[in-house]
Amino acid sequence: MQYKEKEIKKGIKLHLIKTDKFKTNLIAVFLTLPITRENVTKNSLLSAVLRRGSKNMPTSTQISQELEEMYGASFDNGIDKTGDNHVLKFYLESINDNFLPQKTENMLKTSCDKLLEIVFNPLIEDGKFKEEYVNQEKENVKRIIEGKPDNKARYAFDRCIELMYDNKPYGLYKYGYIEDLEKIDSKTLYDYYKELISKCKIDIFVSGSIDEETINIIEQNPNIQKLQERQPEYIISTIEEKEKVQENEVKEEMDVTQGKIVIGLDLQLNNEEQKFHAIVYNSILGGSASSKMFQEVREKASLAYTAGSNYVRYKNNIFIKCGIEIKNYEKAIEIIRKQLEDMKNGIFSDEDIENAKKGIIATIKSIDDEQDTEITYFFGQQLSENKVTLDQYIEKIQNVTREDIIKIANSLTINTIYFLKNIETAKEDK
Amino acid sequence: MQIIENLKIKEKLYIEKLENGLTVMIIPKKGIQKKYVIWGTNYGSNDNKFVVPGEQEETEVPKGVAHFLEHKLFEQENGTNSLDVLTALGVEANAYTTNDHTAYLFECTENFEPALDELMDYVQHPYFTDENVEKEKGIIGQEIMMYDDYPEWKVYLNALEAMYHEHPVKLDITGTIETISHIDKEILYKCYNTFYNPSNMAMVLCGDFEPEQLLQEIKKRLIKKEASGNIKRIMPQEKEEIVKEKIEQKMDVSQPLFVIGIKDKLVEPQERVKKHIAIEILLNMIFGKSSKLYKELYNDGILFVTPSLDYEYSRGYAHILISGQSTDPEKVYDKFKKTVEEMKQSKIDLQEFNRIKKTIYGDYVKEYNSTADIARMFLADFFKGINSFDYLEEIMTINEQYVQQILKNIFVEQKMIISVIKK
Repeated sequence: MQYKEKEIKKGIKLHLIKTDKFKTNLIAVFLTLPITRENVTKNSLLSAVLRRGSKNMPTSTQISQELEEMYGASFDNGIDKTGDNHVLKFYLESINDNFLPQKTENMLKTSCDKLLEIVFNPLIEDGKFKEEYVNQEKENVKRIIEGKPDNKARYAFDRCIELMYDNKPYGLYKYGYIEDLEKIDSKTLYDYYKELISKCKIDIFVSGSIDEETINIIEQNPNIQKLQERQPEYIISTIEEKEKVQENEVKEEMDVTQGKIVIGLDLQLNNEEQKFHAIVYNSILGGSASSKMFQEVREKASLAYTAGSNYVRYKNNIFIKCGIEIKNYEKAIEIIRKQLEDMKNGIFSDEDIENAKKGIIATIKSIDDEQDTEITYFFGQQLSENKVTLDQYIEKIQNVTREDIIKIANSLTINTIYFLKNIETAKEDK
Repeated sequence: MQIIENLKIKEKLYIEKLENGLTVMIIPKKGIQKKYVIWGTNYGSNDNKFVVPGEQEETEVPKGVAHFLEHKLFEQENGTNSLDVLTALGVEANAYTTNDHTAYLFECTENFEPALDELMDYVQHPYFTDENVEKEKGIIGQEIMMYDDYPEWKVYLNALEAMYHEHPVKLDITGTIETISHIDKEILYKCYNTFYNPSNMAMVLCGDFEPEQLLQEIKKRLIKKEASGNIKRIMPQEKEEIVKEKIEQKMDVSQPLFVIGIKDKLVEPQERVKKHIAIEILLNMIFGKSSKLYKELYNDGILFVTPSLDYEYSRGYAHILISGQSTDPEKVYDKFKKTVEEMKQSKIDLQEFNRIKKTIYGDYVKEYNSTADIARMFLADFFKGINSFDYLEEIMTINEQYVQQILKNIFVEQKMIISVIKK
């Protein structure tokens, strides 16, 4: 694998990932901007409207038909919250020419052109997006927002974040808010699009069997040529000072069979290096099947099927999650607290450290075995203060010591304990 | 080893059936870091009634044993748990149970040999005690309850309930809290000894391997066991008719969920791939992204994403499933039936047919991007009597007459059901 990045214009970067491991080429366009209450709903709606049609492929049926003709090239798009940024992501995956039953036109070029067309050359009628599309997509975004509680585990996680980041960018729901949706129409949305496209950070990724010609394909694409230079405002993740907060315990009720616990922890780090320590800490706490969470909550206490934790490095939080029988709440919390204490007191073995490192390193080594994972990794580098190559990443993990991990453990505080439980009606006594 | 090569995607399959009956399949992938190993037994949640080779009497066990066994196999006599041992090697290990098979797997970038040691050791050495079996009931109980909160899973099970009178495919893979309460170590040992014989198992390995050398490594790690005789599985006689056309359940969901099902019958192994492809083509023509039906329902605000289109089959059953979320599932169902009837009356649109064929070809090629996908696919297909490469070959030869015939024979209104979950 060879990675190269080139700034095509100020604020617009092309990332080339040359690899022969795959049957497919994957092209991605990411539009990045700070997430704000004002924009979050517009971005969400915009993402939905763009996939409906472009100037030269005015309907989604036509887009689908043209992609089907390209041996089922698949277009996909979505939005993510990465740290305090909102990222609009667009992907197109198509079969590499070597694996087609018949030689056709240059599939890579066609794929690039099609994707750039969808993102940068939308269908415009009378100086605005097509009314019909905007109205339909407003309904669809509304449904997505209303559907938030459908996945209970995901909902509990989102709620915990909202409570921790109340009135802050990271607490925003990435699909936006129904009350804001009503204020947007096809004219205001198109005006917003023009502003966004002229200001946001643009990253274009091409992964697969590429060559020098690929740079030309992108640079000479008319939709790229018409883009202006920009000084993009986006948020690079830094070590922020965590406010001291009182531990907050919130219980909410919903129609669930199983209770879902999410515990949000704040990490007060002093420097960027400590992020690598936190990765190892998290792995020992709840990152794998040999972790404390899995062993103590699931295997020994037999309280849960899912029990683990994950580290969000953009925000320096660890989230502990488990699904338990509702009556076992107190017991589970007690066990979890004990694990956090044990970590502080260094009650974990050198073997635990080694095992955690092995698992993390295996994950790093296989980053380039999947095209989208690899793209996500290189994009993450764009939003980080310290850029590391995969080899440096491995080295940094290897160098983490027991003291480093204990320091992380002692810099942790519980911010919020969230529990999603069943609706209590009159209890039966048995 | 026998070598089967596919020139379209430039991959090779090395396959050998060992003396003890175990089938080993190796798909070498040069330059890929990840090595993926999966060892499966042709034994899933449907196999609750069978005759142990050498015995006369039928054995019937509670629902959920295959899955319970999968959980318990990790436990070792020396007090270790193989999942921990593998994790400690920096290896990602897991296991799963389906309706027709159970599989144990790991993927790694380092420590391949010790990981293979551990995998092959634990799968060949069960250790069940009264105590460790009891403890697992709590964990699996939580797994069952977790699924109770997934409306997608419930709407799917209800669809099977509406289609099947007797066949165990309609039951939850995990069993229920009640059925698993009857499981004890004797039952686990009996099922283990019956179904975990090498002649009922297959191993698939995908990664940067030398196949012949790897085969020797596998042979070294096999404990001596004779191939057992044929296991007679007793599947209830399933009627061709559906149970009921409509099934509905209330759950707290923002939009109704639906599954439209069409009950079918299993065909002989040689026709399975061809039929599966024909059904995929038809489903995509009727309900795919570029279909008229989808466009219409989308524009009416009834559907907002394309439904997922599946054809599932194994011993004693086969069915089509169309699943999605809609403001008005009844309308989706009506329009679907209408579209099917109209298609039957007219000729297959050749341009559309060829376009969908291209798409499906591309989808098959994409399956060969990851070692995990490849290995899992070859294992699952093997237990269905299929070589996965056949899909790439058969799709080239399939014609519209055959597809038309499948449409007439399979997409029959009397065999259709709809399952809905709403508030």
